[in-house]
Amino acid sequence: MNKRLLFSLIMFLGCSLSMIAQDRRITGKVVSAGDGSPLPGVSVQIKGTSKGTSTDATGSYAINIPSGKSSIEFRSVGFYSKTVEIVGQSTINVALSESENSLGEVVVVGYGTQKKTNLTGNVAQISAKTIENLPVLTTEQAIQGRAAGVFVESGNGKVGQGIKMRIRGSSSVSAGNDPLYVIDGIPMTTTAAGSRADTPNPMADINFNDIESIEILKDASAAAIYGARGSNGVVLLTTKRGKSGKTNFNVSYFTGMSEATGRREFLNTAQYVELFKEARANAGFSLAGGETRFTRYALGERARWENPASPNYTNTNWEDQVLRKGNINQFDLNINGGTDKTKFYASGSYSKQEGILVKNSFERISSRVNLDHKATDNLSIGVNASIARTLNTRLANDNAFSTPMQIIALAPLSPVIDPRTGDYTDTYNDADVTQYYNPLMNISYASNTTETYRTLGNVYAQWNIVPSLSFRTEYGFDMSFRNDDEYYGKKTKRNSGQANGEGFKRNINIFNYNTNNFFTFGKIFDQKHDLNVVAGMSYQQSKRTAIDATSRNYPSDIYKTISSGATKADANSFERTFSFLSYFSRVNYKFDNKYLIGLSGRVDGSSRFGANNRYGFFPSASAGWILSEENFLKDIRQVSFLKLRASYGYTGNAEIDNFASVGLFSALNSANNSAGYASIPGQTPFQLSNPDLKWEKTAQTDIGFEIGFFNNRISAEVDYYSKNTTDLLLNVNIPGTSGFGTQLKNVGELENKGWEFVLKTDNKFGDLTWRASINAATNTNKILNLQGQVITGGYLNRAVEGQPLSVFVGPEYAGVDPANGDALYYLNTTKADGSLDKTTTNDVNLAANVPIGNPNPKWIGGFTNDFNYKGIDLSITFQGVYGNDVYNGAGKFMSANGDFYDNQTIDQLARWQKPGDITTVPQARYVGGNGTAESSRYLSDASYTRLKTVTLGYNFPKTITDKLKLSKLRVYATANNLLTFTKYTGWDPEVNTDYLTGVAAGNDFYSAPQPKTITVGLNLGF
Amino acid sequence: MKINNKLIFAVAFSLMLTSCADKLDVNPIDDVDAISAVKTSSDVEALLTGAYDSMTDADVLGGNLQRDAELIADNGDIEWQGTFVAPGEVFSKSLLKDNNQAQTTWLDSYRTINITNNVLANLAVVETAKKSRIEGEAKLIRAWMHFELVRQYAKTYLDGTPTSNLGVPILTTPTTIITETNFVKRNTVAEVYQAVIADLTSAESLLPAGNGFFADKYTAAALLSRVYLMQGNYEGARQAAHRVIASGNYTLNASFFDVFNNKTNTTEDIFAAQATDQDYVNSYNTFFGSTSQGGRGDIIINEQHLNAYDVSDDRGLFFYESGDIYTAKWAVQVANIPLIRLAEMYLTRAEGNLRAGGTPIGTTPLADINRLRDRVGAKLFTTVDLATILKERRLELAFEGHWIHDIKRNKQTISKRNGTATQTWAFDSPKLIFPIPLREIDANKNLVQNEGYQ
Repeated sequence: MNKRLLFSLIMFLGCSLSMIAQDRRITGKVVSAGDGSPLPGVSVQIKGTSKGTSTDATGSYAINIPSGKSSIEFRSVGFYSKTVEIVGQSTINVALSESENSLGEVVVVGYGTQKKTNLTGNVAQISAKTIENLPVLTTEQAIQGRAAGVFVESGNGKVGQGIKMRIRGSSSVSAGNDPLYVIDGIPMTTTAAGSRADTPNPMADINFNDIESIEILKDASAAAIYGARGSNGVVLLTTKRGKSGKTNFNVSYFTGMSEATGRREFLNTAQYVELFKEARANAGFSLAGGETRFTRYALGERARWENPASPNYTNTNWEDQVLRKGNINQFDLNINGGTDKTKFYASGSYSKQEGILVKNSFERISSRVNLDHKATDNLSIGVNASIARTLNTRLANDNAFSTPMQIIALAPLSPVIDPRTGDYTDTYNDADVTQYYNPLMNISYASNTTETYRTLGNVYAQWNIVPSLSFRTEYGFDMSFRNDDEYYGKKTKRNSGQANGEGFKRNINIFNYNTNNFFTFGKIFDQKHDLNVVAGMSYQQSKRTAIDATSRNYPSDIYKTISSGATKADANSFERTFSFLSYFSRVNYKFDNKYLIGLSGRVDGSSRFGANNRYGFFPSASAGWILSEENFLKDIRQVSFLKLRASYGYTGNAEIDNFASVGLFSALNSANNSAGYASIPGQTPFQLSNPDLKWEKTAQTDIGFEIGFFNNRISAEVDYYSKNTTDLLLNVNIPGTSGFGTQLKNVGELENKGWEFVLKTDNKFGDLTWRASINAATNTNKILNLQGQVITGGYLNRAVEGQPLSVFVGPEYAGVDPANGDALYYLNTTKADGSLDKTTTNDVNLAANVPIGNPNPKWIGGFTNDFNYKGIDLSITFQGVYGNDVYNGAGKFMSANGDFYDNQTIDQLARWQKPGDITTVPQARYVGGNGTAESSRYLSDASYTRLKTVTLGYNFPKTITDKLKLSKLRVYATANNLLTFTKYTGWDPEVNTDYLTGVAAGNDFYSAPQPKTITVGLNLGF
Repeated sequence: MKINNKLIFAVAFSLMLTSCADKLDVNPIDDVDAISAVKTSSDVEALLTGAYDSMTDADVLGGNLQRDAELIADNGDIEWQGTFVAPGEVFSKSLLKDNNQAQTTWLDSYRTINITNNVLANLAVVETAKKSRIEGEAKLIRAWMHFELVRQYAKTYLDGTPTSNLGVPILTTPTTIITETNFVKRNTVAEVYQAVIADLTSAESLLPAGNGFFADKYTAAALLSRVYLMQGNYEGARQAAHRVIASGNYTLNASFFDVFNNKTNTTEDIFAAQATDQDYVNSYNTFFGSTSQGGRGDIIINEQHLNAYDVSDDRGLFFYESGDIYTAKWAVQVANIPLIRLAEMYLTRAEGNLRAGGTPIGTTPLADINRLRDRVGAKLFTTVDLATILKERRLELAFEGHWIHDIKRNKQTISKRNGTATQTWAFDSPKLIFPIPLREIDANKNLVQNEGYQ
């Protein structure tokens, strides 16, 4: 082959020399602009002709240019193409810069890496560069909108709380739906202690500026290597490592501020008085009774609510009292460098965020050291360690009177400060002034903090036994020590119920360790058979212990410790361990650079499962065909890459309680208090046994293609998937007469189906580069079989056959009877012909419960544009969800046409007042329950598009940085959540209240809006 | 050399694999395997204690059951101003079939029954000396739960034909696994009453005359008097009430104010739910107590009720103001909850004597009623009739969870002003009966739903 090429070249040269003397010969070398290494196989083409050659193994080329042709184009997959004008030179050396859209790049997969070209599964990759320095706390928030099929939702604007992430929909009803997170090979602890969603988010302990790349394994062939825990997808985090060469210092700092993305409008004093007088009159209550109430709210001064001319006239906007301007500051330093033998990366970071809600903040100080050392030619060892301390000043969950947003229920008639006490208006002489506890009292007289120390570390040794075979052993741990500290002072009595203060302290320790031991074999046989094999085992054990204590009766609010309380009211402990023992293997075979086959399998054993089903096997198979390597496509220049791929496999879900299969007795009762009585010990049956309990299994099919046009200047990826989950781990409702409410069983089946689209373009026009990436995904979730069960959650959420998980099922609101102002509902009973009876009724009990909405979005997506022009960079990301509904669980209080004294949303003024009025707000009736039943009245479309991130930066030119003795100087400004486009009338459409779990989804309940943040920052390198 | 290294390595690696397998045997630490939990006499005693704890859970006798008996009976005496949806529906007598309280009371009551059935199934390991007491206590608790369930979820005994009216399922065996037999049907109202009476009668004979603050012989008799009253069996009621009174174990407190908000039982308590600082449930306080008293301040007392007392009646003073008016019966959070007290026995004996006719047992109805009125400084009666006895019962036992049951057994009608109109509910209105919880209907197709909730 080479000889023939040489021969033809000589022939060609000879001919051209003799016959076309005016042709010019040009030689040169092509290297990578990044590291100067020679680039083989670069296509060298004379523009305007089909003539061309390619570079050899040393990156060199030689080409003859016919007369009249004056430019050469250099193209290579993974690099920007470059065109060079010929102006008399005979040597043209070119440095090609790497493009982002590189199909040649390496992707981290479980227990190894693969070239993206060779992937037969679906893996989304997010480079760290794109999320660096975003003013958010956690990795999940940073990647929102940046990966197809990955749904990320921050439930509310409280800082430090849990984030919901769903990869390709929800595959389970009762078991967990969160993905498995693996950092540098160790499965992370991501579930916080406690069952509610308002617990702190363990992911917030990780400084994501230390992350080099994020890979999301979505289909079965990618995730099956994580077997029993792969069903919800796997998120692999790889931290940054040192590079040999000069030591680089990078310093970053940013500062900024934030405010709520949205506000709601509530009644002012005059409107409030008008509405409630009317509501009482309509319900036959006395005017005097209402006025007495108004005067009570107005500190006993009638003029405060009645006389606008009075200097004391009060009209308080309570919302303004709890939503504030937050701020954020972050400082990062990292150093990396090393020699050929030893490389290091070290970082330190400090970040502090004051949330948009009063008394809500988050502070993190963290540091990481990653070391790699080549001990001998065939043995490398390394160690990674990170430590972090976070301090979260927290708020009560959305369902507490003391949570700041519930302040909006207070009447505008009360002043913020009661001049008689000099304190927030709440009680006076032990009698209630405001209708509800004033949450501002907690700001002054209560504290609630969580402090966490988190250490992640691992050591590894890799032994290259022979060039094609290596063995790697890893031992890693993830330790967390968490202290919760709460104190409720004497003045919070109205809320805490404790006249002399209450203190609560809890320590939660988690020790999670993991070892991976595996062989990797890689060899190319006969130049055509490329074989890669990984085989090994892993063992993980996680132990969680907790202890808490409650004290009451403190001498004064200065004393806050458990010891200081005169009454030790409660103490609890908790200890749980689980373990996983796994064996895994993966075989990848590539034939002739075109045909790809992948097989993987994992056997997982877990302590969580019944004695009869302790081990599960999770195989997958996948195949790919790189058509662009076929001769019939090679000549189509426009198509630079085309690959078809398909995969099928099984993954599992084991996210259930640790001892769910065992029949248990407990010394705790159903309310989780002691089963003892009057200090005499007691026990009760607690859980029914199910020795057959096993994994929930998901079979997933994925079919997709990847295509690149014009040297991958435009590339696209399309996938169709179908996930079918069987043996659902379900908390099955059993007859309560048995003494038990539910039993965890493997029952039922659900499916998720969807499409994912990724379209990217990467362009360079002179000095301007423009990269754009659009991702969009659909997911349709449907419960196929629950053996007829209906599982309820939230307000109207249901898990029911034939419907998507968490579908809203309830009475359908039909508006208001123009004749009498009654709220109406459609009967929606099934008629003989199968259609629904759309007759209306004012008795909600007669209205059938029907599906009225879906909290799961039909589409999710993101659109990112990056521009670079001579040192100026601009990045714009839009993110959106479409086709989901949100239920306002607080509607019955805040939008209840004056049903009770809660202040009402302004739209309630449109209430029915006289016969003939056409409106959707029923007649105001004090405690009349007119339209306040849970129904579609409080459901709304929560689709939104958000200008998620805009960053504008400027890199100072080399002339300036050189003078400053810097290698890099960049200043930038970033805006997060700058604009939100939505029809949702609540605070923010991205919402999920933090006090509900289970099948509850898409509920708003006094949930704080998201923050809109603007920061400015600087990056220095030297 | 190289080969040897590899060999050693391979051996070491395979050893590592095998040594891990037993690490999957992780045992629960906080809870105990069901098989090892009930092996000794003290294990069974602990279960019995668990049954008391479960019975006095907030959703059962810890206050919610009684709260709902007051709310659903309301005729304007009180006002619900809370944010909880379930009691709000009870107050407006418009329960939805998925009413959460209907669900939790049902679940927790049957949970308690299952604990007692576990006790009764394991009597074999109980020390002989303790056997009858433990059996008696378990039967008493089981009966009490069935009694509350049948009153809450079924037509009242005196409504129509109790032998065909659907009651609630009677459960007498512990649950270990779920099989077809667990998908039970509703027994008739009469069958439930029969089972309750059988359990209580047996308990009364098994139990000692004193048992600390746990249930004893007279707790069983007192409960029997309630059951008989509901059946209109006035003879049985007065006999049972009289057995309690005549035991001499109990005396009225000198002051009405001393009856409530105590941390230890008073001489008047026949049975009270116990509170300690570390372990208490007081759902009465949660809903009837003002926020200044540690409650939610959800149930306020209207003038209409306050006006029902004589001016000189101490009971009319047993209220306090904290923004609104609240009953002082449940003003303290950490306090025992009197579930059966001697005053009720006097009222029951008086009513039984009046309605059964013949020679009064113990003393005359007039003497029993005046005994209570005398204590509170109310004007003494010269004669009593049924109406005065029932009114006295209302005032003495207000907000203690008797009201709806007294209305139903006396076939009274509830009238309440609603706007300008007056709304009425007959004693047998389906609106006054809780729905069988929707989840229960969904989970067990053998259950038939109550009228009005289908």
